[in-house]
Amino acid sequence: MLASTASFINCTGGVNGDNPTEITRADVDLIVRELLNNNAYTIMDNIEGENKFGTAPVRDAYFGLCSTRMTGNLDAVQGFIHKNQYPAPMNALRSEWGSIGNLRFLVSSIGSVTPVSSALAADVYNIFCVGMEAYACIEQDGYSAQFIYRPPIYDGPLALNASVGYKFAEVPRITNDLWVVNLRTTLA
Amino acid sequence: MADNTIIQQGYFTSTGVPKTIILRSDIDWMHTYNLTTIAGTTQWDSTEHIWQREMIAGDSIIYYHGAATNVMNSVGSITGFNGVANRPAFYPIDSSGLLTVAPIAVTAGTNATQPVYSTATTVPLQTGAIVRVYGGAHTNINGLDFSVDTIVAATSFRLANALATAPGVINGAGFWRYIAPDLMTYKLFTPGKRVVANITAANPAVVTTLVDHGYSSGDIVRMMVPAGCGMTQMNGLLGTVTVVTAATFSLNIDSTAFTAFNFPLPAAVPFTPAEVVPVGETTASLLDPVRNQGYIGIVLGSLGAVSGTPTGVNGDVIKWIAGKSFATFIP
Repeated sequence: MLASTASFINCTGGVNGDNPTEITRADVDLIVRELLNNNAYTIMDNIEGENKFGTAPVRDAYFGLCSTRMTGNLDAVQGFIHKNQYPAPMNALRSEWGSIGNLRFLVSSIGSVTPVSSALAADVYNIFCVGMEAYACIEQDGYSAQFIYRPPIYDGPLALNASVGYKFAEVPRITNDLWVVNLRTTLA
Repeated sequence: MADNTIIQQGYFTSTGVPKTIILRSDIDWMHTYNLTTIAGTTQWDSTEHIWQREMIAGDSIIYYHGAATNVMNSVGSITGFNGVANRPAFYPIDSSGLLTVAPIAVTAGTNATQPVYSTATTVPLQTGAIVRVYGGAHTNINGLDFSVDTIVAATSFRLANALATAPGVINGAGFWRYIAPDLMTYKLFTPGKRVVANITAANPAVVTTLVDHGYSSGDIVRMMVPAGCGMTQMNGLLGTVTVVTAATFSLNIDSTAFTAFNFPLPAAVPFTPAEVVPVGETTASLLDPVRNQGYIGIVLGSLGAVSGTPTGVNGDVIKWIAGKSFATFIP
């Protein structure tokens, strides 16, 4: 839903010659400024600095939702703080990779990728940068999710194949289009 | 469910263009029967097309009248018959992934507001299909999806919705990819954002989108116009849509005094193009709620007035069946 409907900004600060380019600090700063200008609230509070070797304070932050294949490129961005460098790593989420400026990145193996859609036919990675309550998933009243299992006996007399599935009814909604921006990037 | 169970079937009357069939689940095989040509004996008319999983996109096994009799011959679509190879047949579509067809070479592209791209292969294109080019000198268009029209078989297709300014250079060798046969397949959710090809400085402002917009009158959109596209006064404005054509709509915005809009030139790469983002609607009928319309399906190819494809020619009655196998054995 976000890939189809949210506005996007291409990364342009990189040097890989593509459009969009790989992600850079300038691109992150641009997105943060965009969300700030649109009065989006940050989702996470800051993590205060502590006197621990190798750590750094973490700013209050919006979330950037992206693919696990982005991790190497995130590591290379100026100012990247991996979550093990947080003063209080227990405040990091399980799926969190780290933070850059006012953006904390959550990664997933099913993060959004638009195949061969850059100018040089590379895969484009969509990083959905969201502020608080930018979008919501609304479950439909009276129709909660169902997990359905049919044992093999329903398949036939030889009971060879079972089937498993689920169904649900929910509506994803962008609650404020100004609070979610898709930062499109390619890999370095 | 036993092996080879038909999970869906239907029929349609051909209009001589590719036909998209939405299926309720993934399938492993599909057959089409041309009831019109089965009853006839015209040489080269195809009567049955067979597709099964693992065949490449566009292929099928064809049964056709090899002579002016009821005797059938069979051949693959790629090989073809009667001097026509690459007869477009079955193209599986999954709107969550798209891109089921391999890249096809482009040999040239004109420097015009509606560039014409030369290619030796135009199947399974039809007017309104959505493609993407890349690898050529049109670096400002590369990677952007656009609707096509003026398809000259095995010769060229044209960018349908005119850009504000020509790309700036002549395109050389590159590639194009078939993204979707129509708007319905194009995106999982609708209405979707669109890249802007042009905005007029007029009252009301008229917006042209690279891919047909699919909006309804009464939709509310937000215009996102980066500095590189000119008309920065339009950036961030909300407007109510009045549909003019499939590719254009007007907004209740007077842009007469705005800076002229331009489509960025290759020198501007990398850049973020101007876009239009739907954010709401004023109609009481909820014409365009954001909803998931993804599906799995098959596009049946066409050669227009030439028979020998699953859709036959205009007026042919086509029956089809599709089904599932429990296992696929590949040596």
